[in-house]
Amino acid sequence: MQTTSTGSDQSAEFTEFMRAHQDMVFSTAARLTGSDAQAQDIAQEVFIKAYGIFPQLRLQPSAPGWLKTVATNLALNHLSRYRKRWRLFSEMRADDAGESGPEPDVPVPDTLLENLGSEQRRAVVDAALQRLPEHQRVPLVLYHFEDLSYQEISERLHVTLAKVKIDIRRARLALLPMLQSAGMVP
Amino acid sequence: MNDDDRLERLLHATLRGLPARPAPHDLESRVHAELARRAAQTWPRRSFRHWPMSARAGFVATCGILAAVALLSGSWMEVSIRTLIESDVLANFWVRHLTQLGAAAGDLAVSLANALPAAWLDTLLAVAASLYVCLFGLGAAAYRFLYLRPVNDRLTITSGDQ
Repeated sequence: MQTTSTGSDQSAEFTEFMRAHQDMVFSTAARLTGSDAQAQDIAQEVFIKAYGIFPQLRLQPSAPGWLKTVATNLALNHLSRYRKRWRLFSEMRADDAGESGPEPDVPVPDTLLENLGSEQRRAVVDAALQRLPEHQRVPLVLYHFEDLSYQEISERLHVTLAKVKIDIRRARLALLPMLQSAGMVP
Repeated sequence: MNDDDRLERLLHATLRGLPARPAPHDLESRVHAELARRAAQTWPRRSFRHWPMSARAGFVATCGILAAVALLSGSWMEVSIRTLIESDVLANFWVRHLTQLGAAAGDLAVSLANALPAAWLDTLLAVAASLYVCLFGLGAAAYRFLYLRPVNDRLTITSGDQ
């Protein structure tokens, strides 16, 4: 870190910048990876990259978008590396694309119950997301949190469009009873 | 609107309405510590992009010289070795015997391959491939049961504790 007066100004400014965006960056990484430890490593790497271009980045109104994109890319790269390393031995099972999957066991309500505060809801949903298998969680998060289309998710994850749709549908069906058991669904 | 559409809308509204997860308290200090650690590194330990321009230019020039020397020395060594082998300098040296032994082994292998029926060779290759697959399978099974399962158990225990 720089120790000149300009450098310490920049350091203080960077600290403010980090405080303003660290929750968003950490959330993005944590929801994709399903692991707090990995998300923390990714968030750290995002801010180190941001520090490298901070003189330009701090003036950009698109800085939060840049941080989110970098966090998403690093998380997906991390998952991709991890998947390649472990798939051979740990996921020796047939690809289940092509089936439409089960119907919802729980009647789908129009709205959720308002009995929980927003922080409690967040904790419930994040815990439920962590329990989803990676091949369901990642496309679900990209679709609902990152606003990617099915086609974009298919291209990013290098899987077929049909598999993306099925995995997202199954993820939603798996989430519903988890939310119900937490009292969020009537 | 069917159940799938209703579920999609419900979850989309729910997920988009969630607040961000609070980052761990030590993230900020970790980032600062890592930045300080990287800043304290001398330039040879940093990535090439952060080297001084003169060092980068020197490195590229050195690499170019080394590559040229390697290419030239390769052809020079080839000529030298050939000259040595063809000369009588190594007449009683072990390299000569080693070369003769290698040639004899090659001749023997070719003779055997010609003498054996093709079916035998195919069978031999199939047996070797099967043994290789068995060994690979055993390795995979050992990896899953001896390494992966304890890791998964640890993860389950950890998440159960939370």
